[in-house]
Amino acid sequence: MIFAHIFFYVFAIILVASAVMVVTARNPVHSVLFLILCFFNAAGLFLIAGAEFLAFILLIVYVGAVAVLFLFVVMMLDIDFSELRAGVQRYAPIGGVIGAILFLELVLVLGGWKVSPLAAGLRLTPMGYGISNTDAIGRVLYTQYAFLFETASLVLMVAMIGAIVLTHRDRRRSKSQVIAQQNARNPADTLAMIDVAVGAGVKAADIRRPDPALERPGEVVVLPDEETHEPVLVAPEPRSH
Amino acid sequence: MPIGIGQYLVVSAILLVVGIFGIFMNRKNVITILMSIELILLSVNLNLVAFSGALHDLTGQVFTMFVLTVAAAEAAIGLAIVVTYFRNRGSIAVEDVNLMKG
Amino acid sequence: MQPLLSQYWPILIFGAIAGGIAVAMMLGALFAARQKPYAEKLSAYECGFEPFDDARRRFDVRFYLVCLLFIIFDLEVAFLFPWAVSLSHIGLFGFFSMLTFLAELTVGYVYAWRRGALDWE
Repeated sequence: MIFAHIFFYVFAIILVASAVMVVTARNPVHSVLFLILCFFNAAGLFLIAGAEFLAFILLIVYVGAVAVLFLFVVMMLDIDFSELRAGVQRYAPIGGVIGAILFLELVLVLGGWKVSPLAAGLRLTPMGYGISNTDAIGRVLYTQYAFLFETASLVLMVAMIGAIVLTHRDRRRSKSQVIAQQNARNPADTLAMIDVAVGAGVKAADIRRPDPALERPGEVVVLPDEETHEPVLVAPEPRSH
Repeated sequence: MPIGIGQYLVVSAILLVVGIFGIFMNRKNVITILMSIELILLSVNLNLVAFSGALHDLTGQVFTMFVLTVAAAEAAIGLAIVVTYFRNRGSIAVEDVNLMKG
Repeated sequence: MQPLLSQYWPILIFGAIAGGIAVAMMLGALFAARQKPYAEKLSAYECGFEPFDDARRRFDVRFYLVCLLFIIFDLEVAFLFPWAVSLSHIGLFGFFSMLTFLAELTVGYVYAWRRGALDWE
C-alpha cells in the first residue's frame, strides 16, 4: 500500500519543518501556531502506526487545550520578545554543535541496532486481534496498569491544586449578590407596621435611627431618609419603662 | 508493506534534536523553552508508539497516555510559574531568575 | 494495521472537501465581494469594539485558570473513553480503579471550588 508511505513522508516532512519553525520563529504567536501544526502531523503519524486512540487524544488534548494555554500565556504577558531574542546569534552555534553531536550519536545507535528475536516473547501486553485500539488500551490500562493510572490522577490533582495556588488571587474587585441571603429574607424580618398618630411625627412614634449595638432582626422598619430620601433601615429602640 | 520502525525512529530523532537545539537557541525565552520541551516529549511519544506498533505490544501506547498526562501537567504548572513570575518581576528573561542564588 | 488505515479514506475525503469549501469561500469573498469601506462603516457600532484592531491584546489572568482547569478535566475525559469502551471486559477491579481516579480528581475539584477558582468574581 503505497499511499501509507506517501502520507508518512508528507506528515514527517511537515512535522520536522514545523518543529524547526517552532524554535526559530521570531513571533512567539507563530511559534505556538507551528506547534499546533506539529501536533496535527504527529497525530497523522500515530494514525499510520496504528495508534488511532492516541492520535485523537493528541488532537483533543494538545491542539484543543495545551496549545491554547500556550497561546493564552503568550498573549497575556506583555513582553518585548525582540529583547528576549537578543542572544540568539550567540547561542545558535553552540546549540547547533550540541544538536549535531546528539544527532550523530543517535544515528550511530540506529545504525547498529536491530530488534532481538526474543523481543516477541517479552511483550507484556500483546495486541489482540479483532478488537479496536481503544478497547485494547482500555483492557490493560485499568487493570494491569492500575497503579500508574492512579498515579496519573495524583499528578493531575497536584497540577490542578498547584496551578490554583500559583495563579489564583482572592482579591475581590466587584460586589456580588449573595443569593441565599436574598432568598432568606422575608417581610416579617424587615418590615413592621406602626400606627403613627396624626400630626405627631415619626419622632413621637419612637422611630429612631438604629443603634448598631441594639439592632435586632425582626424589629426593623424601612423609612425614607430625611436628607437623601433613600430607604434606610431603621430599628425601633427598645423602650425603657 | 508496512512502514518500518527505522523511519519512525529517524523522524523522532530529528524531532528530539530540533527540540534540544530550540532550548539552546532560545535561552532567554521561557515560553519557547517550554514549547521545545513539548517537542522533545512528542518525539518520545512517537518513539513509544512506533515500537508499540512494530512489536504489537500495547504497553508503548499505554505509556504514551501517561507521558501525555505528565506533559500536560508540566505545561500547566510551568506556565503558571511563568505567569506568577511575570506578575512579580515584570519580565520572563531566564537570566533574571536568580532570586534563589546565594 | 493497513486495513485500519483504509477505514480513514472517508475522513480524508471529508477533510479535502472541507478544505476546498473553505478556500473557495475565502477566494470567492476576495474576488466577488464589493468592498467599499467608508468612515461610518469602519467605526465601532454604538458601544461595540473597533471592527479593525490589533488582534493581539492582553488577556486577563483569569482566562488562564479557566483554560488550565479545562486541560485537567479534558485529560480526565480522555481517560474515560477506553474505560467506557472496555467496561464489559475489565471487571469490578477496572470499574473501581476508575472510580478511585475520579475520586482523586474530585478532591482537586472541591479544592478549586472552595478556593473560588471557578467563580468569575
